[in-house]
Amino acid sequence: MAGKSGRTIANVPEKSLKKTVLCWEGMLVILFIVINLFCGGISPSYQFANVLREMPKYLTEMFLLFPMAFILILGEIDISVGASVCLAATFTCMASNQGLPFGAVILVCLLTGVACGFINGLILTRFQELPPMIVTLGTQIVFRGIAEIALGSGGSVSLSNADGFRKIAGKAGIVPYILFVVILMAVLYSVVLAKTTFGRSVYAIGSNRMAAYYSGIPVQKIRLIIYTVTGFMAGLAALFLTSVLYGANTTTGNGFEMDAIAMAVFGGISTSGGKGRLFGGILSGFTIICLRIGLGQINMNPQLILIILGILLISAVLIPNISAKLKLKKKAA
Amino acid sequence: MKENKSILKKITGSREASLLIVLVVLCVVISMRSPSFLTLKSISDMLKNNAVIMIMTLGMLGVLLVGGIDISITSTLALSGMTAGMLVKYGIVENTFLLFVIAVAIGGLCGFLAGLIISKGKVLPIIATMGFMYIYRGLAYIVANSQWASAEDLGAFKEFALGSVFGINNVIIVLVICYAVFFVVMKWTKTGRMVYAVGSNREAAGISGINTSSVELMVYTVMGTLAGLCGALAVSIYSSAQPNMLYGREMDVIAACVIGGVSMTGGRGSVAGALLGSLILAIIAKALPLVGIEAIAQNTVKGVIILAVIVLNVITQRVMDKNNLKGREM
Amino acid sequence: MSDYVLELKGITKIFPGVKALNNVQFQLKKGEVHALMGENGAGKSTFIKVITGVHKAEEGEMFLEGRKVDFRGPRDAQAAGIAAVYQHPTSYPDLSVAENIFMGHEIIKNGIIQWKQMNEAATELLSELNADFQATDEMGGLSVAQQQMVEIAKALSTHARIIILDEPTAALTKNESEELYRIVDKLREDGVSIIFISHRFEDMYRLATRVTVFRDSQYIGSYDVDKITNADLIKAMVGREIKDLFPKPEVKIGAEMLRVEGFSRLGYFKNVSFAVHAGEIIGLTGLVGAGRTEVVESICGITKPDEGKVYLEGRPVQIRKPADAMKQGIILLPEDRQKEGLILSWGLGRNVTLPTMGKYAKNGFNDEKKEREISKQLLEEVDTKAVTIFDPASSLSGGNQQKVVVAKALGQEMKVVIMDEPTKGVDVGAKAEIYQIMGNLAMQGYAIILISSEMPEILGMSDRVIIMCNGRVTGELSRSEATQEGILELAMEKSK
Repeated sequence: MAGKSGRTIANVPEKSLKKTVLCWEGMLVILFIVINLFCGGISPSYQFANVLREMPKYLTEMFLLFPMAFILILGEIDISVGASVCLAATFTCMASNQGLPFGAVILVCLLTGVACGFINGLILTRFQELPPMIVTLGTQIVFRGIAEIALGSGGSVSLSNADGFRKIAGKAGIVPYILFVVILMAVLYSVVLAKTTFGRSVYAIGSNRMAAYYSGIPVQKIRLIIYTVTGFMAGLAALFLTSVLYGANTTTGNGFEMDAIAMAVFGGISTSGGKGRLFGGILSGFTIICLRIGLGQINMNPQLILIILGILLISAVLIPNISAKLKLKKKAA
Repeated sequence: MKENKSILKKITGSREASLLIVLVVLCVVISMRSPSFLTLKSISDMLKNNAVIMIMTLGMLGVLLVGGIDISITSTLALSGMTAGMLVKYGIVENTFLLFVIAVAIGGLCGFLAGLIISKGKVLPIIATMGFMYIYRGLAYIVANSQWASAEDLGAFKEFALGSVFGINNVIIVLVICYAVFFVVMKWTKTGRMVYAVGSNREAAGISGINTSSVELMVYTVMGTLAGLCGALAVSIYSSAQPNMLYGREMDVIAACVIGGVSMTGGRGSVAGALLGSLILAIIAKALPLVGIEAIAQNTVKGVIILAVIVLNVITQRVMDKNNLKGREM
Repeated sequence: MSDYVLELKGITKIFPGVKALNNVQFQLKKGEVHALMGENGAGKSTFIKVITGVHKAEEGEMFLEGRKVDFRGPRDAQAAGIAAVYQHPTSYPDLSVAENIFMGHEIIKNGIIQWKQMNEAATELLSELNADFQATDEMGGLSVAQQQMVEIAKALSTHARIIILDEPTAALTKNESEELYRIVDKLREDGVSIIFISHRFEDMYRLATRVTVFRDSQYIGSYDVDKITNADLIKAMVGREIKDLFPKPEVKIGAEMLRVEGFSRLGYFKNVSFAVHAGEIIGLTGLVGAGRTEVVESICGITKPDEGKVYLEGRPVQIRKPADAMKQGIILLPEDRQKEGLILSWGLGRNVTLPTMGKYAKNGFNDEKKEREISKQLLEEVDTKAVTIFDPASSLSGGNQQKVVVAKALGQEMKVVIMDEPTKGVDVGAKAEIYQIMGNLAMQGYAIILISSEMPEILGMSDRVIIMCNGRVTGELSRSEATQEGILELAMEKSK
C-alpha cells in the first residue's frame, strides 16, 4: 500500500560547507584560535609547553562538563557537583591519611562521588514532581555540610603521603596524564551522545519528555543513570584535583557547577533541553581554560576572571535569545 | 465524609497554622532546656542576628512567587555592603543615612540588571543569577581591593545597629517596617496581587492585560533593593565589611521560603509563611547547640531540613490528590 | 439601525501555513442563544478568539450594536462587554474564587483592595447562580463545573452583554449540564446574548433558537433550530453523507486478541472489562472525563492500574511500562499528538523511528542509514505531505502530523492498535485517509480500539461500541444496534 498519490519523500541529508562553518561550533573554533592568539599576545610565557604544564589544574572541571551536558540536554540542572567534588576530595584525603592502599583510596573517591550522584538521582526519580534545581540546591548544602563535619574545626586536610597522587599527576613527555583521560572521556561521551540509542533517548527526553515516555523510552532509568554518572565524574574530578592540590578544604570545588554549566552553555547546549552537541561544549571548555591560563599568567586578579566568566555565561544564553528575537521581528516585518 | 475532608483540608491547607504550631512547640522545648531563651534580650538578639536573612526572605518570596529564583543575593549584599564600608573607611561618606541610600541604590541596580536579563532576555533565572553571583561577588572583591573595614574604620556607621528607638533596636525596627510594608502590599494592593496572578497562571495574566515581564523585572529589582539594604545592615550589625560576607547564605533565604510553604513553581506563599519559615530556621540554628549538635553540623542539618520539607510537600500533595480521587464517586 | 448586537463580516484569519478562518460571517441577535456548530478543526475556537480579541483577523469587520469595532486585545473586548467561558477555564488555581472573579477589575479604595466588599459581591453573584461553594474557596480545589460557574460569575461581574460558552457541557455530568441550562436560561431572561459552542445536539435543541454551522474554516449557513432536521444539520457539518466518509470494510472477525478484566484505577475507572478480536474495530466512547483515555493508558503501561488483568491472545501479560506493551504488540496512538505523540522540533524520520531505533541499532549504536530508509518507506506508505524526512514535525498540518504518528506505529510489530481521538483537529480530507488506513489495518487482521467523542466516527467505523460513563462501562452495542441517541443515553446514564 505505497503512497496513493505517488509522492516521494527525500531521505538524503543535505550537507553544505557554509552551514558547517557558520554553525555555533564553527564560530567556537575561530574563537578558540583568536583567544590563543590573544593570550600569546598579552603573555610572553604563553607557549605550548607552559600551557600544557598549567593545564591540569583547570582540566578537572572538564570532567564535570561531560555529564553536565547530558543533564542540560535532559532539560535539567545539577548544582550539587561542586559540593560532590568537595566531599569526595575530603574523603579521599582522609582515606589516604588513614594509610589505605592507593587503590582503595581511589575506590573511596569514586564511590563517594557515585553515592552523591545516586542520591540526587534517587530523590529526583522517586519524587518526579520536584524540580532538579531545588533538589540539588538542597543536596549541595548537605554534601558540603558533611565535608565540613568531616574536616572538623580546622576546615582543611592535607595529604600526609602523596606518592600515589604524584603518579596520577605525572606526564608522558610534556603531556600530563590527565589530558589523556579528558580526551578519552570527551570521545567516549561525545560518541555516546551522538551515536547511540542512549544518546538519542537523552535528546528525546529533553525535547519532549511525554512523547519520549509514550514512545517507550525508560525516562526515569535514564535520568537515574545520568545523575549517578555525574556523581562518578565528580569523584574522578576530585581525584585529579587532589593530585594537584595535595589536600582539601571546605571551599574545594566551589563554583565548579557554574564553570561546568558555563562551558556547556557557551558551547551551544541549550539550558531548556534537547539542543546542542558535546563537541561545542568541549571546544568552549578548552577556550575558557586557555583564557584562564593566559589571564593567570599576566597575574590578573582571579576575581576579575570570575567576573569575565559570569559575563560569558550570561551572554552565551542571552545572545542567541536576542538574535532569535530579532530574527522573528525581521520575519514579521 | 465531607466533614472529614474539610478538617483534613484545614490542617494541610493552612500551612501557616501548622508552621505556627511547629514554632510554638520549638520555643517550648527549647525554653525547657534553656530558660534564658524566652527572655526579651535573647529574642531581640536573635532577631537582630537574623534580620538580614529575614528581610531577604521577603524579596525571595516575591521572586519565587513568579516562579523564579535568585542566588545572586548575597553577592549583591556583599557588593553594596563593601562599598558602604569602604566609603566610611576612607571618609568619603560619613552620613549613615546617605550610606544606606547608596547601598540600597547599588542593590536595586544589581537586581534591576538581573531582572532585565531574566524578564526581557528570557534567560533562565538560575543561570542568570548564577552568573551575577560571580560578577557581583567579584566586584565586591575589587571594591575591597584586598582591604577590609574593621570596627574602628566604621565609626558612627556601626552605631546604627546598636542604637534604639523607644527601647527597640534600630535593626528590629527596620525588620518590622519591611515586613509590615510587604504584608500590606502583597495582600492588599493590586501590585501584590499581580505578582500572585503572574505566578499562578502567567498566560492568563498576560491575556488579562498584566505586563508579565514588567512584574518579573519588578520582583528582581525589589529583591536587589532589599539585598542592598541588608548589605548596609550587615556591615553595621557585624561591624565589619568583608568581600566574602554571608557567602553561601542565599541557601538560608531559600530554605526559609521553602519551610514557610512558598512554592518553587510560583503562585503560592505568603508573607506570614516567609516570617514563620525564617523564624523557625533561626530558632533551629539557635537550638542545635542546646541539643548537642555542634555548630559545624548546622549546614548539614539545614540541608536535610530543606530536602525533608520539599519531599514532605510532595507526599502531602500526593495524599491530598489521592483523597480527592477517592471522593470522586463512580 | 441593526437588529444584531454582534455582527462579523468576511473574517479571515491566517496562521502560518493554514487558513484557520476563510471569509466567515456571523450574526447574533439581542437576547438570543445562538449555537455555533461544526466538527473539530472547523474554526470555531479561532472564531471565538477573534471575537474576544485574543487573535486579530487579517481581514474582515466586526460590528457591536451596529458600530464598527476594532479590538487590539482581550481587554478591549472585555471593556465592550464580551466575555468568554472556556471548556477548561483559564483561571488562577492558587487564588480564591472571589479574586478570580474580580481579577483585572478589583474593588480598590485608596490603593487598598477591599477584600470584604469583594467577597460579599462575589458571594452575591455565586448565590444568583446557586453555587455550592464559597467565595473564599481556592479555585484549584473546585471541579470543572464549579470553575465554569466562577467564569460565568466573572462574566456577570463585568456586566457582559455577550457571553460566549465554549463547549461548556463537554466535561459535565447530566445534572451539572441541567444546572448549566438553568443558568443560561436565566442569563437570557436578563437580556444577555449568548453564543454557545457544542458538539451535543441535545444542548442545541434544549437551549438555542438559531444555529450557525462552520466547516473547514468556512461559513456554511445559519438556520432556525426548529426548522432544520438532524440529518440536514449533520450533512451541513460533515459536508457529505456519512456512508461515503467512512470506508468501513467488511472483515471477518477472528480470534480474541486483547481482553481486559476487572480494570480499576482509583478515581479514574472501575471494574472495566472488554475484549477485542482480530480484524475488529471497537469504538470506545463516552463523555470527556468518562475515563476512556485513562483505561487505555493503563493497558499500555503509561499509568499503573490498581487492579485488573490483561490477556493477549488468551495469555495473561504483565505490562509495567510503555516498552512492555510495545513488546507485546499493543500500540497506542496517543490523544495529544503534539504533546504525547511527536517531538515537534525533530525531523519526521527520527520521530518515526523513535520507538524502534533500538531494534535497528547494532551494539547500542544507531543505524542511521537503515532508519532513514525505513522512515521514508513508512511515511510514504501513509502518504505524508512532506518534502524530506528531515522536515521538523512542527511544520506539518494536524492531519499530516497524525499520519506521522500512524507511521510511527506501523514501524512496530503490532497486534492491537489503540487510536485515541485520531482525527481530532484534522481536516476532512486527511480524516478520510486516516479512516482508510484504519480500515486497511482491520483487513490485515489487527485488532483496533478507536476512542472518539465524535458520534459519526464511532457509528461509521466500529463493529462494536463500548460506552463508558464516570469510569465504568455502561453498555455495549453492536454495529446494528448502535444509534446516536442510544449511545448518548448510556454515556450519561449514571451521571448524578
